[in-house]
Parts: sequence; C-alpha cells; structure tokens
Amino acid sequence: MKVSSLKVPHSKKIENAIFISVLLFIFKIVFPINDSIFLLIINELLILIAVFAWVNYVTEFINIRISKPLTLVINTGILNALIFFIISLSSWMFSEAQNSITSSNFLYVLFSTIIVFVFISSLAYIFSVYKSLCFHRQKKDPTLYFNIMIIFFLLTAISASLLKPNLNVENLQVILDSKNDFIYNAFYIITVSFILSISLRVAWIAFLNKKQKLALLALSIVLSVLSWINFSTLSSEEFIIIRNFSPALEQLLSLTMIYGAIYFTVIFFTTLFHLPTAEAIDRKSQELTSVKDLSKLMNQVFDFEELSETITSTTLKVSNSDAAWIVIKENDKINLHSIVGLGIIDANQISEFLIKNELLSDTEVKITDLNLFEKKYNLPNSIKSIVSAPLSVHNNNKGFLFAARKTSRIFEDEDCKPVGTFAGFAAVALENAKLLEESIEKERLEKELDVAREVQYKILPQRNPIYKNLEITSLFVPAFEVGGDYYDFFEISKTKLGVVIADVSGKGIEAAFIMAEVKGIFATLSKLYDDPKELLTLANSILEESISRKTFVTAIYGIIDTEKETFNFARAGHSPLFYFNGSEVRKIIPKGIGLGLDYTSKFKNTLKEMEIKLNNNDIITLFTDGINESVNEELEEFGYNRLEEIIKNNSNLSVEELSNKIMKSVTTFSRNSSQHDDITLILIKWNSYKNLKGEI
Amino acid sequence: MAEFDVGKHGVGPISILNVKGYLDAHTAPELENAFNSLINDKQYKVVVNFRDLKYISSAGLGVFMAYVETMRENNGDIKFCGLKDDVFNIFDLLGFPLLYEFYKEEKEAIDKFNQG
Repeated sequence: MKVSSLKVPHSKKIENAIFISVLLFIFKIVFPINDSIFLLIINELLILIAVFAWVNYVTEFINIRISKPLTLVINTGILNALIFFIISLSSWMFSEAQNSITSSNFLYVLFSTIIVFVFISSLAYIFSVYKSLCFHRQKKDPTLYFNIMIIFFLLTAISASLLKPNLNVENLQVILDSKNDFIYNAFYIITVSFILSISLRVAWIAFLNKKQKLALLALSIVLSVLSWINFSTLSSEEFIIIRNFSPALEQLLSLTMIYGAIYFTVIFFTTLFHLPTAEAIDRKSQELTSVKDLSKLMNQVFDFEELSETITSTTLKVSNSDAAWIVIKENDKINLHSIVGLGIIDANQISEFLIKNELLSDTEVKITDLNLFEKKYNLPNSIKSIVSAPLSVHNNNKGFLFAARKTSRIFEDEDCKPVGTFAGFAAVALENAKLLEESIEKERLEKELDVAREVQYKILPQRNPIYKNLEITSLFVPAFEVGGDYYDFFEISKTKLGVVIADVSGKGIEAAFIMAEVKGIFATLSKLYDDPKELLTLANSILEESISRKTFVTAIYGIIDTEKETFNFARAGHSPLFYFNGSEVRKIIPKGIGLGLDYTSKFKNTLKEMEIKLNNNDIITLFTDGINESVNEELEEFGYNRLEEIIKNNSNLSVEELSNKIMKSVTTFSRNSSQHDDITLILIKWNSYKNLKGEI
Repeated sequence: MAEFDVGKHGVGPISILNVKGYLDAHTAPELENAFNSLINDKQYKVVVNFRDLKYISSAGLGVFMAYVETMRENNGDIKFCGLKDDVFNIFDLLGFPLLYEFYKEEKEAIDKFNQG
C-alpha cells in the first residue's frame, strides 16, 4: 500500500520536472536573449517553476537516504566542486564571448543552456539536501520557518531580476527610481538572516559516531570554503552566463551558496565542540544497542553457552576491554565459559587468584589493578587491570563476569556500568538454562514413570480366579513412583491354585522391568513345579544372571489345594503371612532369605516350607510392606498390629468388604502424608460351602 | 524428611561407618560414596553402626549387598551393630542375619574382626 502510494506521485513529479525543463529549453532556443520585459518575466517564471519541480522531485529521493547524512554531505560536496569547475572553465572559455553583448550565436546559446541545466539540477540537489538535513532529527517541526525562508529566497530572486541593472533589458529599475536598490537589499538581508537562524538546526550531528564526526569535520571545512568561493565567483562581474540567462537563477544559486557557506561553518564548529564527548556518546549508544540485542536474544536462545558467548563478546566491545570471560562457581570448583581475548590457562589462573584472595564482591562491580599483584603472585603479565561483576540470582552468587585490559589504561568507574549490566544478563541466562534443564529432567522422569506404571498394570492380573470353596480378592494401589509390587495367580489345575506376592527393591522403571522378569519366571516355573521351596530356589538362581548385586526381590509363593484343603507355601524374605484360624490372627514367618541376596546353597538350606490345613472361614492375608510402613504425620508406622485387629474384628465380612475396610483404615491413618510405596493386599478365605458359581 | 548422614572413623585396621537418619533411594548414593572411598583406601573391614538410623528402605539395604562381596574377597567383611528393633526386623525378615553378622555393641563387632 505504502509503496504504491509513494510511487505514483513520484513518477508524476519527474514527468513534471522533465516537461517544464523541455519547455524551458525550447523557449530558450526560440528566444535566446530576453530583450523585453515580457520575455524576461516568462523566462524567470519558467526557471523558477523548473527549479521548484526539480527540488520537489529530488527531495523525495533524498528523504529515503537521510539515514546516511554523511553520504548526502559528500554528494553535495561533489556538486559544489562541479559548480566550481564549470564556473572556472566557462569564465576562461567565454571570457571573449561574454565581452560582446551580441552573444547570440546558436552554439553559445546551446552550450550555456546545458550549463544552466546542470546548475539547476545541482541547485535542486544541494538545496534538497540542506532542507532534509535541517529537518533531520529535529524535535520541533521547522516547516513553517523553512517555507518562509523559501518565500524570501524567491522574493530576493524576483526583485533581483526585475530591479537590478540587466545587460539585455531596460528593466523596471529604469521605471522606478534608479537609485532605489532598497527593496532588493531588504529582501536579501532578510533572507540571509533566515539562513543564519535555519543553519543552527544541526541536531543530527549528535547522532553520529566519533568516526563520522571526524569525517564531517573535514568535509565541512571543504564545503564551506567551496561554497564561499562559488558564491564570490558567481557574483563577480566576470561571470555572466547565468546572469545573462536568468538573474533570478543566479540569485538562487548564490543564496544557496551563502546558505552552504554559513551552514557548513556552523557544522564545523558544532562538530568541533561535539568531538570531546563523541566517545562517551558512542559508548552509550553501543551499550544501548547491545542491551537491546541481548534482551531480544534472551527470549530466543535458551542455551547458556550460546548466550554467554554473546555476552562476553559484547562486554569486550562496550567496555573497551581486551579480554572477557565468565566464571561459574559449582561446588567449590570454578568453570570458565566463553573466554575471548585470553588463553584458558591465564584466565583460570587470574580467576582463581581473585577468588582465593577475596578480591571480588558478591554484590558490587569491582575494579582490580593487577599491576599491584603481578610479581608477588606470579600472575600472567599480559593482563593489567580487571573489572569483575557478580552473577547473582536472588541474592545468591553463582559466579562472575570478568573484563580485562592488557594496556596500562586502567579501568575507570564508568567502565563498570556496562559490565554490571551484562553480568545481570548472564545471571538471568544462567538461571533460565538451569530451569529449562530441570523442566526437561522432570519431563523425562514423568515419562519414565508413565512407562513404569503402564508396565506394572499390564503385568498384574486383570481379575481374580474363581475356585470352589475359595473367596479371593486382590487390591493394588500404586505409589506415585512405581514401587515394584507384583502379585499373580496361576491356575495350575481345577483344584490347585498358585499364588505369588513379591516386592522388587528399588523404584521406577528399573523395578518395573525386574517385575516383568519375575512374572516370567513365576509363570513358567508354576507350570513345572508344585513345590514352593523348589520353585523359589530355582527362581533365585535364574535371577542371579539378570539382576544387579544391590537388587533383591522378596516373595511368598504358595499353592492352595482345594482337594486336600491345604495351603502350602514358602517365604523368601517377604513380609509375614497373616493367618486367621477362626479365633486369632497368626503372623507366620517361616525362615527364608530374599531372592537375589545369596546364590549359594545357603538359600535352599535355610528356606522353610510350611503347610496350613484350611478350615471353614480361615483367612489368609498376603500383603507388601506398603501397608505396614504407611506413616501418619508423626511418622508413626501403621504396623502389623492394626492390620491384625481389623482382620480379627471383621472376619465375618466378605473378603471384598474386609479388603475395603483395611484400605480405608490405612488411608485414614496416613491421610496427611504421601504414599511412598505401592500397596498390595490379597485376601483368601476358605469357605467350605461355596460352590464354583460363588453361591453358598 | 530425607535427612541422612554418614560419619566415618577408624579403629586400627577397622573402619566404622555411623549411619544417621533416613536411608532410602535418594540418600543411598551418599552411603555408596562412603563405601567407594573405603575401597579406594583398601579398607575392607567395616563395621556399620546403626545407632542413629531411623529408617532404611530396600534401596538402602541394597547398598550393603553391593559392597559385601568386594570386602569378603579381600579378607574383610561388613558387620552390623547397634540396630534398633524395628530396623533389625527389616533385616531379619529379609534373612540378612543368615548372611551377615549382627551385634548389639560396636565393640563386639570390632573384637570379632580382631579375633579373626
């Protein structure tokens, strides 16, 4: 939208300018000499319109390039030099011709017309540049002021044309009083005073850097001198091409030259006065840009190394240092990051020296003159002075940002500020990187937990087996972090049911995988052996090959024979089996070492097998330590006794009801603390009257 | 809650580890470090004093299993002493007393090393 709206008037402007120029050219060919007042007026009008049209066109073109004011100034200089060159050349070439009034031969006219066009376009360009510079970076809008000045430019030009003595025409001056130069002079003085005041608008100089200011200083000398010379030769009696052609144009040109001369003189002095502060301003602006760039970077980059590199290199630039690096403190050790301008060994030695001798502050930016210590502590002699800024997050010092100089120019207070600023950035970047790492680690752990939980659920039986005379219920409550509980039923035959309950040591994904393996072992062995002791012994020796030395598995494996009405089992390090025999609960702990603790014959030799004769309403309770190790807010454990009591007092309930009762009691007991281990509970009740359909 | 600390001192050729607080999956690495440094120093005769231990999880128990073989292969051992009843019951359920020596007093464990 913007581009197209700009382009249409743009092309129109150049059409207008070319059209009026062609018109002027034809007019000039037809009437080479303005020998009547009427022709003179038309001539001047055409000239002024042409100048206006060209200025109009060029201004737009200049405004696009105003961000580089120095280039514009250089171009102005070239055009001024061109004008100077043409003036000198033509004064020499036409010194003869100019003397004769009848300079009417065609070649002379053509040549002078071309020169005039060069002048018009140069004038348009130079004037547009002055205008743009005057408006550039100006706080107050100088439009009105500038327009008034332009009006006086025109008034001076017209009055010069009509009132000053002209070689070709008997002009108005003859009609008016011949001594009355008053009007022209008045306009002239007013115009010059406007030029003077407009020339003071040089705000844009402040925004140049030191190098540009130096260049401008040189350019302004050349330009003001050139402008003065051009002005004086233009108004000299010898140079009359322009005056012959159009007195108004001559006036405009010479006024523009005065403008240039004054303007560049002002610029020269202003720049000269700006020079001493140029460096400080440069630094401030560099600091500002760096801070802007860094804040942008902080939102895009989370990698600490990448950010720290940018931080040290900007610190180096802004603080005028020769070396910079970041030190991160980690458990009494220091790590160096992103060292620029110095070897890692030297940087390390200096950092260690400063930290060891407590020359650094955890809260302030400090300057240390290393010259004082260099010899005594045998420090690398390349570094002379150093600025250190703490990297602090929430008043917690994490390390330092260093900037060092190799020259004898010691750091000053003003150098500290940028180093402090960038240290702040480094601290935040460090914190961000840490947080990101933590959240990634957390996410990884959570994923792992999900996998472990899924494995566990797939391993556990989906439903309880249905057997004659048996009421069976099982309950599993996983902890947040998978605890490694496992239980299973193996339907060996119509009258034989294998039961296993196990707890793998450790937690999480590792426990989950061992659990899966344990399931495989028991599922296979239960089909081959109906002797619990033999089965556990074999399971132990199989596990030797697959679990680490510090992992173990506790288990109880038993077989219920509904025909013989017995429960035959062995215990490998697992929690006790609770047996309710109608009147009391017995904690049964037959001897047996946990699986994975010992792979010698000791395991088999110490393992005891037991048989319980089942009677009506006998209850076998199998559980993992998640129940008895549940704690309340006083860190008291649920223990065995509470479990015993519940079973004893509720033995008449169905196994499901009893199981709920136990679980409710456990959760009520530990409601104010988190469950940190899996809970598994299996209840098996012998019911002499229950048939296969569950009917009694 | 998960506060754990392990203190180490020597009585002649025997090293005493005083375990304190809660020994679980999160604090077990500290105990592992203590054992590693004993092995580095070729100290294979170790008495672990449980007087100040409040809780031990299965991961904590695993630490002893991981190191006992190395100690025994080098004519050393890990012996336990000073266990409170509830902590001892955990070891007992697992069958540890069938595999490790347990003593009431630290001195008994040291004496046992010195005799052997």
